[in-house]
Amino acid sequence: MEHGTATLAQGLIAAWALVAVAFIALGILFYVAIRSRARRVDLERTVQAFRSLDIEAFRNLVDSAEEAFLRNHLSPKKFREIKRQRAWAALLYAWEAGRAATALAKVGQAAQRSLDPKIAASGVQVTENAFRLRLQTFRVSLRLLTEVLLPGLSSRSLPSLADQYEQAAETLFRLGRSSSGVQGLVRSKSA
Amino acid sequence: MNWHKALSLFLWITPHALLGVLAVVLCRRRLYREFPVFFAYVLYEIAEFILLFTLYSVQGVTGRMYAYAYCATLLLSIALRFGVIDEVSKDLFRESRFLKLSARRSLQIVTGLLLVTGILFAVYAPGDNSAKWYAGVFVVNRGAAMVQCGLLLALLLFSRFLGLSWRRSAFGIALGLGVLTSGDLAMFALRAEFTSVAGAEFLDLLITGAYLVCVSIWIGYLLAPELEPASLTVVPQDEVDTWNTELQRLLRD
Repeated sequence: MEHGTATLAQGLIAAWALVAVAFIALGILFYVAIRSRARRVDLERTVQAFRSLDIEAFRNLVDSAEEAFLRNHLSPKKFREIKRQRAWAALLYAWEAGRAATALAKVGQAAQRSLDPKIAASGVQVTENAFRLRLQTFRVSLRLLTEVLLPGLSSRSLPSLADQYEQAAETLFRLGRSSSGVQGLVRSKSA
Repeated sequence: MNWHKALSLFLWITPHALLGVLAVVLCRRRLYREFPVFFAYVLYEIAEFILLFTLYSVQGVTGRMYAYAYCATLLLSIALRFGVIDEVSKDLFRESRFLKLSARRSLQIVTGLLLVTGILFAVYAPGDNSAKWYAGVFVVNRGAAMVQCGLLLALLLFSRFLGLSWRRSAFGIALGLGVLTSGDLAMFALRAEFTSVAGAEFLDLLITGAYLVCVSIWIGYLLAPELEPASLTVVPQDEVDTWNTELQRLLRD
């Protein structure tokens, strides 16, 4: 009898939990639908996003030699505190780099649809690199988050986020060069 | 005819009549070439409705026979929905070779996790034990709705995360199916637990209502013209230079 009541309660909890999940999903769906209507590719915002980043400072924050120096010269407690702060700062950089990559991907996709085959080809490269950069920033963010939570763990070298950034920028220069005849990076509205 | 029966028939017939309109739209705009599985799904849903409505109307057909037909057609419908989701995801990643590999791998992982969750729910919340055999079908549908809804959400969030642009038609299909599967998830979760006749009738109304919303979304998105692929605005060369200078400044060692 008791077992039956417990099973019934378990079933009811599961049912209502799934109803809640379904409503949350519905909310997210409509939120995304409404937000996507007003989405714009804004070149100026993309430039600003890049401007807000200082790759040199990021490199410094994740430099393993720098970390080794701090480990040797600080008490373990102080080291953990400093490392947590450095990881948090680097995490913010990585997060912003990710947002910049998303904006870059939008510019790239808009360029892909250009009637000029050169710009379109460069757009493909920009988009591909932006996607790679975005995923890379996500992995780096996860790693840095681990360091924020567990600063005592010795960190392995971080994935080459700055190199990815550089690669993305190179293709952007190419896009700029190939578009010099017809003048154009792009600003677009998309679905 | 009481109001409940009239409303039930309205909510049952209307979405399927609209599916006929949708099939015509898909043909006229030649979208069946781009979304063949979705087109097959629409045709299948219409055929399924004709079969079930005939069984419902014919005098000699028992409730048990109808339930068998309903469950069999429902399972095929679930399978087709997975095909539609696959089609939509292929369309989303069509422009990137890199994403075709990595994003689809991520989606496979998401599918695996959702499947495990669905199975765990089926094991630990197997529905009302006193219910008839078709309560099991509701549990299966609940699990499938969970996986499908999760996959569609993952697709939408993934596209926002990466800055991927949807084509209007593909987005409409995904959104409509998302509404349908999230509605199914909630309703079949409740139907698996509550088997009273009054409760079941009320939930049936909600399920068909959600289906009507879903079909309306499909028609709305597929009828609307595709936005200009890229309304390009020429940016002056000095702006390109500014852009390049900013990046060089950012990357200097």
